[in-house]
Amino acid sequence: MQVTEAFKHAFLKQMLLGFQASAVSTKSMGFQERKNAIKLSADVAMAVARGSRKWTRGLIAGLSEERQNRSFLRLILGEQYESLLKPCHSSWKIPRCKKIVRRSLRVCWRKQKKNQSGVLARTLVEKRTQELKRLVPGGESMDGSSLLDETLDYVLSLRAQVDLMQSLLTTFEASKLRSHSKRRLPERKASYVSK
Amino acid sequence: MPVEMSSRRSSRITDEEISELISKLQSLLPESRRRSMSRASAAKLLKETCSYIKSLHREVGDLSDRLSDLMSTMDSGSPQAEIIRSILRS
Repeated sequence: MQVTEAFKHAFLKQMLLGFQASAVSTKSMGFQERKNAIKLSADVAMAVARGSRKWTRGLIAGLSEERQNRSFLRLILGEQYESLLKPCHSSWKIPRCKKIVRRSLRVCWRKQKKNQSGVLARTLVEKRTQELKRLVPGGESMDGSSLLDETLDYVLSLRAQVDLMQSLLTTFEASKLRSHSKRRLPERKASYVSK
Repeated sequence: MPVEMSSRRSSRITDEEISELISKLQSLLPESRRRSMSRASAAKLLKETCSYIKSLHREVGDLSDRLSDLMSTMDSGSPQAEIIRSILRS
Protein backbone atom coordinates (compact mmCIF):
# COMPACT_ATOMS: atom_id res chain seq x y z
CA MET A 1 0.00 0.00 0.00
CA GLN A 2 1.29 3.43 -0.93
CA VAL A 3 0.42 6.56 1.01
CA THR A 4 -0.35 8.71 -2.00
CA GLU A 5 -1.23 12.40 -2.16
CA ALA A 6 -4.73 11.28 -3.11
CA PHE A 7 -4.97 9.22 0.07
CA LYS A 8 -3.73 12.10 2.24
CA HIS A 9 -6.16 14.52 0.65
CA ALA A 10 -9.09 12.11 0.93
CA PHE A 11 -8.25 11.45 4.58
CA LEU A 12 -7.99 15.12 5.58
CA LYS A 13 -11.11 16.11 3.71
CA GLN A 14 -13.13 13.21 5.10
CA MET A 15 -11.95 13.86 8.65
CA LEU A 16 -12.83 17.56 8.46
CA LEU A 17 -16.25 16.73 7.04
CA GLY A 18 -16.67 14.47 10.02
CA PHE A 19 -15.71 17.31 12.37
CA GLN A 20 -18.37 19.48 10.76
CA ALA A 21 -21.00 16.73 10.90
CA SER A 22 -20.45 16.22 14.61
CA ALA A 23 -20.05 19.99 15.22
CA VAL A 24 -16.83 19.57 17.21
CA SER A 25 -16.26 23.30 17.56
CA THR A 26 -19.45 23.72 19.57
CA LYS A 27 -18.42 25.40 22.79
CA SER A 28 -20.98 23.59 24.88
CA MET A 29 -19.62 20.12 24.03
CA GLY A 30 -17.94 18.20 26.84
CA PHE A 31 -14.26 17.22 26.49
CA GLN A 32 -14.83 13.45 26.29
CA GLU A 33 -17.66 13.84 23.78
CA ARG A 34 -15.55 16.10 21.58
CA LYS A 35 -12.55 13.78 21.79
CA ASN A 36 -14.68 10.76 20.86
CA ALA A 37 -16.19 12.61 17.92
CA ILE A 38 -12.71 13.57 16.67
CA LYS A 39 -11.39 10.02 17.00
CA LEU A 40 -14.48 8.65 15.26
CA SER A 41 -14.03 11.10 12.38
CA ALA A 42 -10.36 10.14 12.10
CA ASP A 43 -11.10 6.40 12.01
CA VAL A 44 -13.88 6.71 9.45
CA ALA A 45 -11.67 8.98 7.34
CA MET A 46 -8.89 6.37 7.40
CA ALA A 47 -11.29 3.63 6.27
CA VAL A 48 -12.85 5.76 3.54
CA ALA A 49 -9.51 7.01 2.21
CA ARG A 50 -8.18 3.45 2.06
CA GLY A 51 -11.20 2.00 0.29
CA SER A 52 -12.60 -1.49 0.49
CA ARG A 53 -10.39 -3.89 2.43
CA LYS A 54 -11.15 -6.59 4.99
CA TRP A 55 -9.86 -4.39 7.78
CA THR A 56 -11.75 -1.26 6.65
CA ARG A 57 -15.01 -3.20 6.57
CA GLY A 58 -14.12 -4.68 9.94
CA LEU A 59 -13.43 -1.20 11.31
CA ILE A 60 -16.77 0.23 10.14
CA ALA A 61 -18.60 -2.85 11.40
CA GLY A 62 -16.89 -2.52 14.78
CA LEU A 63 -17.74 1.19 15.07
CA SER A 64 -21.29 0.39 14.06
CA GLU A 65 -21.70 -1.94 17.01
CA GLU A 66 -21.97 1.09 19.27
CA ARG A 67 -25.41 2.60 18.92
CA GLN A 68 -24.29 6.21 19.42
CA ASN A 69 -22.07 5.99 16.32
CA ARG A 70 -24.72 4.80 13.89
CA SER A 71 -26.41 8.08 12.95
CA PHE A 72 -23.01 9.70 12.35
CA LEU A 73 -21.90 6.75 10.19
CA ARG A 74 -25.10 6.82 8.17
CA LEU A 75 -24.78 10.58 7.67
CA ILE A 76 -21.11 10.55 6.74
CA LEU A 77 -21.07 7.39 4.61
CA GLY A 78 -24.50 7.60 2.98
CA GLU A 79 -25.12 4.68 0.63
CA GLN A 80 -21.62 3.34 1.28
CA TYR A 81 -22.65 2.53 4.86
CA GLU A 82 -25.09 -0.20 3.86
CA SER A 83 -22.73 -1.76 1.32
CA LEU A 84 -19.79 -1.67 3.76
CA LEU A 85 -21.80 -3.67 6.28
CA LYS A 86 -23.19 -6.20 3.80
CA PRO A 87 -20.64 -9.07 3.67
CA CYS A 88 -21.69 -10.51 7.03
CA HIS A 89 -19.06 -13.26 7.05
CA SER A 90 -16.41 -10.56 7.49
CA SER A 91 -17.70 -9.85 10.95
CA TRP A 92 -18.33 -13.51 11.78
CA LYS A 93 -16.30 -14.20 14.89
CA ILE A 94 -15.05 -17.64 15.82
CA PRO A 95 -15.57 -17.68 19.59
CA ARG A 96 -15.14 -21.44 19.92
CA CYS A 97 -11.71 -21.28 18.31
CA LYS A 98 -10.46 -19.18 21.23
CA LYS A 99 -11.61 -21.81 23.73
CA ILE A 100 -9.93 -24.57 21.75
CA VAL A 101 -6.70 -22.58 21.57
CA ARG A 102 -6.80 -21.78 25.29
CA ARG A 103 -7.44 -25.44 26.15
CA SER A 104 -4.61 -26.65 23.94
CA LEU A 105 -2.32 -23.96 25.41
CA ARG A 106 -3.03 -25.30 28.93
CA VAL A 107 -2.37 -28.87 27.81
CA CYS A 108 0.88 -27.83 26.14
CA TRP A 109 2.14 -25.99 29.22
CA ARG A 110 1.37 -29.00 31.39
CA LYS A 111 3.31 -31.30 29.03
CA GLN A 112 6.41 -29.05 29.10
CA LYS A 113 9.65 -31.05 29.03
CA LYS A 114 13.16 -29.90 27.96
CA ASN A 115 12.77 -30.97 24.35
CA GLN A 116 9.36 -29.41 23.83
CA SER A 117 10.82 -26.18 22.38
CA GLY A 118 9.24 -26.84 18.95
CA VAL A 119 5.82 -27.21 20.49
CA LEU A 120 6.40 -24.13 22.66
CA ALA A 121 7.39 -22.00 19.68
CA ARG A 122 4.36 -23.07 17.68
CA THR A 123 2.05 -22.47 20.64
CA LEU A 124 3.53 -19.03 21.21
CA VAL A 125 2.98 -18.17 17.55
CA GLU A 126 -0.66 -19.25 17.89
CA LYS A 127 -1.08 -17.16 21.02
CA ARG A 128 0.46 -14.05 19.42
CA THR A 129 -1.58 -14.60 16.29
CA GLN A 130 -4.75 -14.53 18.36
CA GLU A 131 -3.63 -11.24 19.89
CA LEU A 132 -2.91 -9.79 16.46
CA LYS A 133 -6.33 -10.91 15.29
CA ARG A 134 -7.91 -8.91 18.08
CA LEU A 135 -5.89 -5.80 17.18
CA VAL A 136 -6.52 -5.77 13.44
CA PRO A 137 -10.17 -4.80 12.70
CA GLY A 138 -12.08 -7.79 11.34
CA GLY A 139 -9.11 -9.98 12.21
CA GLU A 140 -11.13 -12.58 14.12
CA SER A 141 -12.47 -14.11 10.93
CA MET A 142 -9.29 -13.91 8.83
CA ASP A 143 -7.11 -16.85 7.86
CA GLY A 144 -3.30 -16.77 8.10
CA SER A 145 -2.46 -15.21 4.75
CA SER A 146 -5.26 -12.62 4.88
CA LEU A 147 -4.14 -11.63 8.36
CA LEU A 148 -0.63 -10.97 7.05
CA ASP A 149 -1.83 -8.79 4.18
CA GLU A 150 -4.36 -6.92 6.24
CA THR A 151 -1.89 -6.31 9.08
CA LEU A 152 0.65 -4.72 6.75
CA ASP A 153 -2.00 -2.57 5.11
CA TYR A 154 -3.54 -1.60 8.44
CA VAL A 155 -0.22 -0.60 10.01
CA LEU A 156 0.69 1.57 7.00
CA SER A 157 -2.72 3.26 7.19
CA LEU A 158 -2.40 3.80 10.94
CA ARG A 159 0.99 5.45 10.44
CA ALA A 160 -0.50 7.74 7.80
CA GLN A 161 -3.39 8.57 10.13
CA VAL A 162 -0.94 9.54 12.89
CA ASP A 163 1.19 11.66 10.52
CA LEU A 164 -1.80 13.47 9.06
CA MET A 165 -3.41 14.22 12.40
CA GLN A 166 -0.04 15.50 13.61
CA SER A 167 0.37 17.78 10.61
CA LEU A 168 -3.15 19.15 11.01
CA LEU A 169 -2.43 19.87 14.66
CA THR A 170 0.85 21.59 13.76
CA THR A 171 -0.87 23.72 11.10
CA PHE A 172 -3.56 24.79 13.57
CA GLU A 173 -1.07 25.61 16.30
CA ALA A 174 1.12 27.59 13.90
CA SER A 175 -1.82 29.62 12.60
CA LYS A 176 -2.92 30.34 16.15
CA LEU A 177 0.54 31.68 17.07
CA ARG A 178 0.66 33.78 13.91
CA SER A 179 -2.72 35.35 14.60
CA HIS A 180 -1.68 36.19 18.18
CA SER A 181 1.53 37.91 17.10
CA LYS A 182 -0.29 39.84 14.37
CA ARG A 183 -2.71 41.25 16.92
CA ARG A 184 0.11 42.63 19.08
CA LEU A 185 1.94 44.62 16.35
CA PRO A 186 -0.47 47.58 15.91
CA GLU A 187 -0.21 48.37 19.65
CA ARG A 188 3.60 48.52 19.52
CA LYS A 189 3.46 50.84 16.51
CA ALA A 190 1.11 53.22 18.28
CA SER A 191 3.37 53.53 21.36
CA TYR A 192 6.41 54.22 19.13
CA VAL A 193 4.57 56.92 17.20
CA SER A 194 3.38 58.67 20.34
CA LYS A 195 6.99 58.93 21.60
CA MET B 1 -24.92 -18.84 1.56
CA PRO B 2 -22.77 -21.69 2.89
CA VAL B 3 -21.09 -21.14 6.21
CA GLU B 4 -17.35 -20.90 5.75
CA MET B 5 -16.16 -23.88 7.77
CA SER B 6 -12.80 -23.88 5.97
CA SER B 7 -11.70 -20.65 7.63
CA ARG B 8 -11.61 -22.42 10.97
CA ARG B 9 -9.14 -24.98 9.64
CA SER B 10 -7.04 -22.42 7.78
CA SER B 11 -6.81 -20.04 10.75
CA ARG B 12 -3.62 -21.94 11.69
CA ILE B 13 -0.58 -20.29 10.13
CA THR B 14 1.53 -22.47 7.79
CA ASP B 15 5.33 -22.49 7.78
CA GLU B 16 5.67 -20.58 4.48
CA GLU B 17 3.30 -17.94 5.80
CA ILE B 18 5.48 -17.63 8.87
CA SER B 19 8.65 -16.93 6.88
CA GLU B 20 6.81 -14.46 4.65
CA LEU B 21 5.46 -12.82 7.78
CA ILE B 22 8.96 -12.54 9.24
CA SER B 23 10.46 -10.73 6.26
CA LYS B 24 7.53 -8.46 5.53
CA LEU B 25 6.75 -7.43 9.09
CA GLN B 26 10.42 -6.91 9.87
CA SER B 27 10.68 -4.33 7.12
CA LEU B 28 7.61 -2.61 8.48
CA LEU B 29 8.77 -2.05 12.04
CA PRO B 30 10.70 1.11 12.85
CA GLU B 31 14.51 0.89 13.02
CA SER B 32 14.71 1.08 16.80
CA ARG B 33 12.64 -2.04 17.30
CA ARG B 34 14.41 -3.96 14.54
CA ARG B 35 17.89 -3.54 15.98
CA SER B 36 17.16 -5.52 19.13
CA MET B 37 15.89 -8.52 17.16
CA SER B 38 18.91 -9.99 15.35
CA ARG B 39 17.48 -13.53 15.23
CA ALA B 40 13.81 -12.74 14.96
CA SER B 41 11.50 -15.60 15.68
CA ALA B 42 7.97 -15.50 14.36
CA ALA B 43 6.58 -15.24 17.88
CA LYS B 44 8.83 -12.30 18.77
CA LEU B 45 7.97 -10.55 15.55
CA LEU B 46 4.26 -11.01 16.11
CA LYS B 47 4.68 -9.65 19.62
CA GLU B 48 6.55 -6.59 18.31
CA THR B 49 3.87 -6.01 15.70
CA CYS B 50 1.15 -6.19 18.34
CA SER B 51 2.89 -3.71 20.61
CA TYR B 52 3.61 -1.42 17.65
CA ILE B 53 -0.08 -1.39 16.71
CA LYS B 54 -0.99 -0.65 20.32
CA SER B 55 1.45 2.27 20.44
CA LEU B 56 -0.02 3.68 17.21
CA HIS B 57 -3.49 3.42 18.76
CA ARG B 58 -2.24 5.36 21.80
CA GLU B 59 -0.77 8.06 19.55
CA VAL B 60 -4.09 8.49 17.75
CA GLY B 61 -5.82 8.84 21.11
CA ASP B 62 -3.30 11.42 22.27
CA LEU B 63 -3.61 13.42 19.03
CA SER B 64 -7.40 13.32 19.38
CA ASP B 65 -7.01 14.84 22.85
CA ARG B 66 -4.84 17.66 21.54
CA LEU B 67 -7.08 18.37 18.57
CA SER B 68 -10.01 18.42 20.97
CA ASP B 69 -8.32 21.15 23.02
CA LEU B 70 -7.71 23.24 19.91
CA MET B 71 -11.19 22.76 18.47
CA SER B 72 -12.81 23.87 21.71
CA THR B 73 -11.38 27.38 21.32
CA MET B 74 -12.14 27.69 17.64
CA ASP B 75 -14.81 30.00 16.26
CA SER B 76 -15.88 30.59 12.68
CA GLY B 77 -13.64 33.65 12.35
CA SER B 78 -10.46 31.92 13.55
CA PRO B 79 -7.59 30.99 11.21
CA GLN B 80 -8.15 27.28 12.00
CA ALA B 81 -11.67 27.57 10.67
CA GLU B 82 -10.30 29.19 7.51
CA ILE B 83 -7.81 26.34 7.05
CA ILE B 84 -10.64 23.85 7.41
CA ARG B 85 -12.77 25.69 4.87
CA SER B 86 -9.95 25.87 2.32
CA ILE B 87 -9.22 22.12 2.60
CA LEU B 88 -12.91 21.32 2.18
CA ARG B 89 -13.13 23.57 -0.87
CA SER B 90 -10.24 21.77 -2.63
